[in-house]
Amino acid sequence: MSEELLTGEIKQQLVGVGPVDIVVGIPSYNNVRTIGNVVQAAQVGLLKYFPDRRALIVNSDGGSKDGTRQAVEQANIDSQSVLLLQHPLYPVHRLTTPYHGIPGKGSAFRTIFRIVEEVQASACAVVDSDLRSITPGWIDLLLRPVFDREFDYVAPYYKRHKYDGTITNSTVYPLTRALYGKRVRQPIGGEFGMSTRLASHFLSRDVWNTEVAGYGIDIWMTTTAIAEGFRVCQSYLGAKIHDAKDPGADLSTMLVQVVGSVFRLMEDYAAVWPKVATSEAVPLFGFPFEVGLEPVPINIARMIESLRQGCRDLLPIYERFVAAERFGALTACAALPDDQFNLPDDLWANLVYDFALAHHRRTLDRGHLVRSLTPIYLGWVASFAIQTTNETAAQVEDRIERLCLVYEQLKPRLITDWGLGTGEKRSEP
Amino acid sequence: MKGFFEWAIQSPLRELGREAIQTLPGLVATVVLVLLGLAIGWVAKQIVFRVLRGLRFDRLCDRLGVSAVIEGLGLARSSSYLAGQAVEGLFVITALLAGLNTLGSPMTHNLVERFFGYLPHMLAALAILVLGALVSRFLGRSALIASVNSHIPSARLFAGLTRFFVLTLAGVAALDELGIGRTTIIVAFSILFGGVVAAVAIAFGLAARDLARDLLQSQFRPQPKQEADDPLRHL
Repeated sequence: MSEELLTGEIKQQLVGVGPVDIVVGIPSYNNVRTIGNVVQAAQVGLLKYFPDRRALIVNSDGGSKDGTRQAVEQANIDSQSVLLLQHPLYPVHRLTTPYHGIPGKGSAFRTIFRIVEEVQASACAVVDSDLRSITPGWIDLLLRPVFDREFDYVAPYYKRHKYDGTITNSTVYPLTRALYGKRVRQPIGGEFGMSTRLASHFLSRDVWNTEVAGYGIDIWMTTTAIAEGFRVCQSYLGAKIHDAKDPGADLSTMLVQVVGSVFRLMEDYAAVWPKVATSEAVPLFGFPFEVGLEPVPINIARMIESLRQGCRDLLPIYERFVAAERFGALTACAALPDDQFNLPDDLWANLVYDFALAHHRRTLDRGHLVRSLTPIYLGWVASFAIQTTNETAAQVEDRIERLCLVYEQLKPRLITDWGLGTGEKRSEP
Repeated sequence: MKGFFEWAIQSPLRELGREAIQTLPGLVATVVLVLLGLAIGWVAKQIVFRVLRGLRFDRLCDRLGVSAVIEGLGLARSSSYLAGQAVEGLFVITALLAGLNTLGSPMTHNLVERFFGYLPHMLAALAILVLGALVSRFLGRSALIASVNSHIPSARLFAGLTRFFVLTLAGVAALDELGIGRTTIIVAFSILFGGVVAAVAIAFGLAARDLARDLLQSQFRPQPKQEADDPLRHL
């Protein structure tokens, strides 16, 4: 951990800034369209809700070429239009710095955490730079539980369109909840508040050359906070409306980084999760108001076709770790006509567990393994979309709740098979 | 007549007998050495097989994909058994060559010398083939998954072509190591070059399809962008 993350110039700038209570980090990569608004929201939030605290906004940039850094520097608030109850005692400082290491969101976070340590701040919040629905209130909601209630980790709780965040809904939330027993609804939300104690703990871990350097950072932070007993809560932020994460990143890469991270964390916390039998709610702050959401277009036929092709072409891969009966059930689903297509929750959850077990046993290259999940995942999304076409947000939430319960019910099978070692035999649910 | 009998029959037979008596110890030694080699080889095979099985060598080979290659080629029932067989074969061949060497004939001596001179090349060629089989398998699987995830209908064809190119390269390299058909290297390079160009084109098409489209559009048709293939925000 002796790697130097901050340049001499940045260190000098930090000396010029002086003592800081709050750091708001904004990782970015080619987000010129949205980052100005995010910086302004953070700035107003700090002035409005923390007028007596010294604050620093840090933009950790991955080498944007679209003028993102200039947008950060030029993002000023119109003090005449901002109504503040209390005159702020200190100005909000702003800093933009490139990060070092493997390109990715995690490396950007690492630099932010290093700055938190350097300035010895009391708390830190991070917000994505692709947000279009951020308001100044988010800064309060992410930081207040740390200052007033001594929570270490504040996860976001949003209202999202039913087809937005499908990796979260299908896999990451139900699996994390079943494994570690905490109902953190948006474990890879992108916006977090945390204590300096936890930020330093993250920084001290030797994970920054793994998937954690990329999209795996969010699930890694959430899982680490839960599994290592830090105080975790959620804050209701309203609607999450954002640009696409990274137009260049394909779905299978996201799966490798996010789902691969969940699977790898199962190894790290293999002594923790088998002992967890049920799940419990996590404190939720903020007022859960209703919001309007942007519709998300979805191509169901294409997703079903993807599953069909996966069943046809990836058979030699699946048959190495998926039980024959289960694979038969999957191919039967794929053979259904589009209008009757359905991938049952228990089949999906069992398949995710099969992938987790194959990852554990290193049945084949782990990158190949997780990438080969893509067609089945798209099949689940198609099935979910068909089932929820006319459902309200509350009904969709119930639907996800039922999926979570299926994951929890099938967990004993996962625990049993996890302990079997590398044998080829698998128990049936 | 007696002189003729002595010259034509007795003398050659006596010479043959003398030579047979001179060669006999060598032959006996050869037989003994081969039998010894067979016995030691069998024992060594059992030891290697059991030790490797105890060390879960087969599981390691499963993970690396070596077992699938062995099964595919029908070489042995397991990786550890194949390793045992290889050790046994080495003992037997060494014993046979040592036995031939004891005969003291220039031909057998030359044969032994050439064999041991050639042995490193054979082992290197074998290693190249095994490595080539593993790499072809890995890259073939990469191409298959990438093609399926990109909704390319001929995914298995791409995977097969990838495996074929890599195996061809490995085969040519192994032949070169054995000193067979060195001139084919030039042809192999031509194949390799064509293969690499094809692989790069496929990889670019699969992994950076949007980028390729955007690049071409920005070059030749600077117009507003089309709808993305996958409008979902998965994270």
